[in-house]
Amino acid sequence: MKLQEFTKGIVKKNAVFALALGLCPTLAITTSVENALGMSLAVAFVLISSNFIISALKHFIPQEVRIPCFIVIIASLVTVIDLLMHGYSPTLYKHLGIFLPLIVVNCIILGRAEVFASKRSVSDTFLDAAGISVGFALAIISVSAIRELLGSGAIVIFGHKVVPALTSSPATAMILPPGAFLTIGILLALLRRAKVM
Amino acid sequence: MENLLGIAIGAILINNIVLTKFLGLCPFFGVSTKLKNATAMGFAVTFVMTTSSILTWLIYEYLLIPLHIEYMRIVVFILVIASFVQVMEMFIRASSPKLHRALGIYLPLITTNCAILGVALMNTTVEGYSLIAATVNGVATGAGFLLALLLMAGLRESLELADPPQAFQGLPLAFISAALLALAFQGFSGMIL
Amino acid sequence: MLQSSIRNAIRNLGATLVLTLICLVAGVLLAITYDLTKEKISEAEQAEVNQALSEIFPSAEFMEENGYYNALENGELIGYAVIVEGTGYSGKIKIAFGICLDDTIQRVRVITHSETPGLGSKVAEDEFLMQFEGKTLQELKLRKEGGEIDAVTGATISSEAVVDIVREELQRIVEGLLGG
Repeated sequence: MKLQEFTKGIVKKNAVFALALGLCPTLAITTSVENALGMSLAVAFVLISSNFIISALKHFIPQEVRIPCFIVIIASLVTVIDLLMHGYSPTLYKHLGIFLPLIVVNCIILGRAEVFASKRSVSDTFLDAAGISVGFALAIISVSAIRELLGSGAIVIFGHKVVPALTSSPATAMILPPGAFLTIGILLALLRRAKVM
Repeated sequence: MENLLGIAIGAILINNIVLTKFLGLCPFFGVSTKLKNATAMGFAVTFVMTTSSILTWLIYEYLLIPLHIEYMRIVVFILVIASFVQVMEMFIRASSPKLHRALGIYLPLITTNCAILGVALMNTTVEGYSLIAATVNGVATGAGFLLALLLMAGLRESLELADPPQAFQGLPLAFISAALLALAFQGFSGMIL
Repeated sequence: MLQSSIRNAIRNLGATLVLTLICLVAGVLLAITYDLTKEKISEAEQAEVNQALSEIFPSAEFMEENGYYNALENGELIGYAVIVEGTGYSGKIKIAFGICLDDTIQRVRVITHSETPGLGSKVAEDEFLMQFEGKTLQELKLRKEGGEIDAVTGATISSEAVVDIVREELQRIVEGLLGG
């Protein structure tokens, strides 16, 4: 029963494909699998820790100021991961660019805090946040795998060529904006067709 | 000396906030089903974007930098934006109930519009614009957002009359339409100003 | 009436206090994190610059002058190195390049950029940057403008940006050195 709180976030309530949240990073960051992995970790960190704190403080935060309080907590955690990444992983920091601080307005996090964390127990919240993080990671990694393979030719993670190049002249449009929209549109349709969503 | 016209045309066409920079997507897909709603949202966003560009620039330049707390910008900027939208909502509710009913639901959505925070961050930390350039960028980016929204709403209203396969109905088709719009806007990338 | 408005006022005051408390705690947390990371951040940035410099003159030591570096091998001056930042197609490009004693380019390295991945980003690759080696100031233009550098196909603006940044900085340094 409890495990359901975790698993629902992976498919049934998949942040990107079911709830249509967090679209901005999904389109912008998915030019390579490496970037998607980095972003997944950052989002997971912020989502899990912020919702955990909000759930722990839910009786302490008054209703009237709950949104500003949530925002301060989330924004602070985003700043923390921003500083940490800038110092310890500067290449990834540069690739994520402006989308790292933009995690603070990622509707997934504020949405989950409002709908779930502020009402449920700390342990349930932790499972929910973890599940949503996994679902988000799966979504953006699969999109970036498609875009990188078709658009750059090969999939390279931290310098290792994980999937060799299919061709020497890849469809560059795939790593440009049109390719981003196209990939998600087609994936959405396919998932609906398979009645998964 | 910054090229203000270049910044403006860049923000509207070449580096359109939605179609090339991927910001402001949630309202882009959420509000573009009706042309009327799209127009209202577009103008509201442009207003908030311009004002918050100015406010955040001033706070960054005259508060955060002198105190060496630039790292607080994420927290401060989003609080400024959220507060401003809140104040604006109260003002509209008090002064024009009709306008409030028209825009009501959109206003809280504007706070989480990543385009607004995105522009604020771009003006200060990424591009390092002057106050005038930041304001121009704010207005122009809002205009670009409005343009993208209008184009999308026009497309989607026409698509309502079409009969696509069920799996594609609604959001998937919207994404593919956006892909074509983005492809068209790619044509601007060669523009030399 | 008065009682309920007093109760409201107290509730609002309480809410504001909670918000202020959370802001203070957040502020302290961030200040601590910043303190812990700021050295690592500037280290990382310096490491990038050092990496680029060592790729330009592999066996040299660098002495910082006013706005550029002297490259010394066994105490002898073998050239100069410059770090310069300019505007590319999308965002700023940070470039390091070396100048030989005969005022030709030693080598060019792109330290940071945010050009289009797969297109403009190619200006950071060896295939494009190789062309800069040994070029004089006059030759530092795109071929279509009478120079010797071929732009990356489909990324003319990014290519031109890099060429312009290098050429203008080279001109500035050469004039400065010759003048002073």
